[in-house]
Amino acid sequence: MTTITSPVARTARPAPRTELSFGGVLHSEWIKLRTLRSTVWSFAVVIALSVGIAVIMAFSMRDGMVSGDLSAAPADLQTQAVLQSSMIGIYLGQLVMAVLGVIAISGEYTTGMIRSTLTAVPRRLPALWAKAVVLFAATFVVGVASLGAAFAASSIVLAGADVAADLADPDVAVTILGGGLYLGLVAVFALGIGAMLRSSAGGIAAVLGLMMLLPTVMQLIPAQWVQDLAPYAFSTAGFAIFSGPLNPGAVVTTGPDAWQSLAIVLAWVAASIAGAAVLLKRRDA
Amino acid sequence: MPRCAAIRSVEGMITAEGLSKRFGAKTAVHDISFTVRPGQVTGFLGPNGAGKSTTMRMIVGLDRPTEGRVTVNGKRYAELRAPLHEVGALLDAKAVHTGRTAYNHLLAMAATHGIGKSRVREVIELTGLESVAGKRVGGFSLGMGQRLGIAAAMLGDPSTLILDEPVNGLDPEGVLWVRQFVRHLAAEGRTVFLSSHLMSEMALTADHLIVLGRGEILVDAPVSDVISGGTRARVLVRSPQASTLADLLAAPEVAVVRSEAGVLEVTGVEASGIGDLAARHGLAIHELTPLSASLEEAYMALTADAVEYRTEAVR
Repeated sequence: MTTITSPVARTARPAPRTELSFGGVLHSEWIKLRTLRSTVWSFAVVIALSVGIAVIMAFSMRDGMVSGDLSAAPADLQTQAVLQSSMIGIYLGQLVMAVLGVIAISGEYTTGMIRSTLTAVPRRLPALWAKAVVLFAATFVVGVASLGAAFAASSIVLAGADVAADLADPDVAVTILGGGLYLGLVAVFALGIGAMLRSSAGGIAAVLGLMMLLPTVMQLIPAQWVQDLAPYAFSTAGFAIFSGPLNPGAVVTTGPDAWQSLAIVLAWVAASIAGAAVLLKRRDA
Repeated sequence: MPRCAAIRSVEGMITAEGLSKRFGAKTAVHDISFTVRPGQVTGFLGPNGAGKSTTMRMIVGLDRPTEGRVTVNGKRYAELRAPLHEVGALLDAKAVHTGRTAYNHLLAMAATHGIGKSRVREVIELTGLESVAGKRVGGFSLGMGQRLGIAAAMLGDPSTLILDEPVNGLDPEGVLWVRQFVRHLAAEGRTVFLSSHLMSEMALTADHLIVLGRGEILVDAPVSDVISGGTRARVLVRSPQASTLADLLAAPEVAVVRSEAGVLEVTGVEASGIGDLAARHGLAIHELTPLSASLEEAYMALTADAVEYRTEAVR
């Protein structure tokens, strides 16, 4: 053994002993999320969609003044108009967040990365919790930022028509934070589905089916009990979290209120993540 | 890395007890028990499909044993407080997200255990990946993937290494590097458990062999015992006086095969014995080669009945 190269000899120096910790797993998942181009692109698309659609909506409102001349309307109605135009982008943003949530885990299965992940975190569940926490935090922040930017863009455009949003109106913060919260929960819900199905195509199809198709199909079924269940669909309840202030005139006394809707969405998310946890623990990786 | 067997007998040991794994109706591993010890390279040899990878996956908890248990340092892998510091595993060169760079992959793995960036740079240097560390893994060759897998296994400077076919896809220089590297790790007192389906590789690298065939252990013995027990030494002799030499060699325990003009394959006499004999009789010898192919034969003899996918001999 005379040809041992110097780098090999280097291994003799012991690395400082550290331990596996949940904080470490969180850090690891954050590195994993931010070092994939798909994440960066998804977030850029969400922000661009939110702002872009808000600007288009604001211009069409300004030019057509679809709901009459708002410049003379009370301040809270003006604020509400700006909010309406800034929240439209969430229809598309939720789809991007859903796809991101699925591939955050299915990408590990399709590439084989999951075996590295589970070798480093052999108890497995901490890796799932950490992924959910990091994904939620990132998508919530990006969601709030994109909706905030959309609100700012709408305000600027509509200011040209003397329609001014009142930032002090609590509805503004509640709606934008609620929208961001929904986007974060969409991503975590999708993460659970992706973990159960372990396939990008299957996971995306399942999540989009549940989010987009289920409410539509329920509308088409004439049975009363199906109609009674409609507010409990994931995306229907999700929109009810933040859209209350957008339709103050609508009398929504029959359905769940914003807090109840949040509870419904959380139940969906909990079911999805619980299913993922059981299967992750039980299956061979 | 001090090791004292008297203090903790399980330190550095991989111990399987009655380990079985069934996938549906198919039995991949059937009731195997073995111990892998520190300070030597233990080769895990067997034809493709013998259950080597499944066994290794069970050691690190990726597959759940159907029966039995396997421990590292006396504990199940999932119970280890710092798995990456105790066990480094290369199970699959493709256990990496293709969209991430090698550096970021290692950084993410290291973060789970609070291992710092300096160690990440060290293992990159150690495995010679400096020039590609910033590139996405999707474009890596199998050889670079293997090096990245070894880098990841070394992150925690573990006392036990489990390497599944680490020389697959490596160029000759890489193969030599891995061979020296694992020898060096074992010399440091670490436990090295290395799988291969190539006997010749094992003969050069391992001290101890566990041979697996159809999910069962066929042999668990030092390499030298396996080789000497498997077949008798065979020597290739090239001589212009081959037939004279063949006559002189003739003895009950000696077999001589004339494969072509001037070439003999001799079984039952050491190369030194043949050389001495030729010298005494003034015969010219152009070549005298102990055939290492006997190792392959030892292996083939061991696994002949245990090969999952057999091909007919080419005629």
